[in-house]
Amino acid sequence: MTAPLLVLDGVRKVYTRGRIVRRPTFTLEADLALEEPGIVGVVGPNGAGKTTLFEMMTGSNAPTSGRVLVVGTDIHRVKYRERDRLAIHYHQSYQVRRFHKRVPSVFLAPSPTTSPLVHLFDEPQFNLQDGYIGFMLDFFRKLREEGRLVVLCMHPTAAWHLEILAEIAGQFLFVADGGVTRKPDFRALVAEPRFRLYLGPDLTGAAETISSMQK
Amino acid sequence: MSMIEASGVHVRFGDRVVLESVDLAVGEGEFHGVMGPNGAGKTTFFNVLTGRVKPSRGSIRLGGEDVTGLSPHRIAAKGVARSFQIMTLFDDYSARDNVMMGLPAFRARGFDGWQAAAADRRFTDKASEALAAVGLAEKADVRARDLSYGDRRALEIAVALAQEPRVLCLDEPTSGLGSDGIQRLTALVGRLKGQLTIVAIEHDMAFLFSLADRISVVHWGQVVARGTPHELQQNEWVRRSNLGRFA
Repeated sequence: MTAPLLVLDGVRKVYTRGRIVRRPTFTLEADLALEEPGIVGVVGPNGAGKTTLFEMMTGSNAPTSGRVLVVGTDIHRVKYRERDRLAIHYHQSYQVRRFHKRVPSVFLAPSPTTSPLVHLFDEPQFNLQDGYIGFMLDFFRKLREEGRLVVLCMHPTAAWHLEILAEIAGQFLFVADGGVTRKPDFRALVAEPRFRLYLGPDLTGAAETISSMQK
Repeated sequence: MSMIEASGVHVRFGDRVVLESVDLAVGEGEFHGVMGPNGAGKTTFFNVLTGRVKPSRGSIRLGGEDVTGLSPHRIAAKGVARSFQIMTLFDDYSARDNVMMGLPAFRARGFDGWQAAAADRRFTDKASEALAAVGLAEKADVRARDLSYGDRRALEIAVALAQEPRVLCLDEPTSGLGSDGIQRLTALVGRLKGQLTIVAIEHDMAFLFSLADRISVVHWGQVVARGTPHELQQNEWVRRSNLGRFA
């Protein structure tokens, strides 16, 4: 049996402050498996840890504890320059390869795959005027059809952002309060009280309309 | 055989991957448009095509010949001319002088023999021919700085054409032009179409969609979509956007 595409196995990230007494300032925990190819939407308030989550998934920010497995391989134990053969981080309009190099590469393992199976898009710049959205969404679908996992992080500020999420994502991760909650579809996401609070009344109304129009 | 064949081109600046595995094949005489958001890697791709940036992986073939990593002047000598997003003209010289300075035979003589060369009919005729091709025959003696913005764009193309290229690369040729200027430039480039291979990066979609045989959409350093203007316009989100106006 093939290993799941992405597993966050008891992942916990803690940022601390203070040199002598270390007080935690931020904690994020995630324990989930995304087994099949597909498109996953990631949403959550600012500062909730979406970028930290992405960085852990792509091997650029090591979890305090737990493992991130991409097709069964702990990405944080793979040579830095080969981590993009497992997962790629796209930030806005370019790709990023930035790693905190704690262990010399010589002690790390090679990547078992040659091309990345997990693609993480961190707030791609969607603009309704230029029409690139359509090409970007088709590109996500193409990756999915090639058997890859697409993780799309968005910060919805307009109704059409929600339309994009509802159209493209098969399931969702809601990041808030130090945790990651999985939602099986857009309807379930809209039903989540914390998501509604994050959207505010106007966008919640738009999300409900979009949700009710979905098959 | 393709005139331009880029395979698996990869360029990285620090921790940013600007181009990743970009493939592009442009047939002889084809007008190929390149579009994409700012920062997507379009100009870097041009810089790779014209030798200003060496790719860390991948290859560029021109008419079947591998030109990967050659210096810009060697690639230019093989028939690739380009215009720039920011114009690069000699402002204090006349339109004709600017074009002559683009002639390979003229440059080969060095600037010492400038006066004699400037009077040489072989060069002046060639320059006049290039200026006529872009509609600047009447303004051959006007200093570049005194030309209108649209004329300066046309002059830049004349400088490129004077090199008798096989491939013309245009980097945002309509940039800074008003609607009249864009109309003139569209007509000018339309006349050149088919005579040589043209690759154009462009944000003005009316320009690109009316002229290009095929278009590659570049984003995240990759080609995310490719097709004829008609094919690209079938996308629902494209129809909803300003791009859809050209459908």
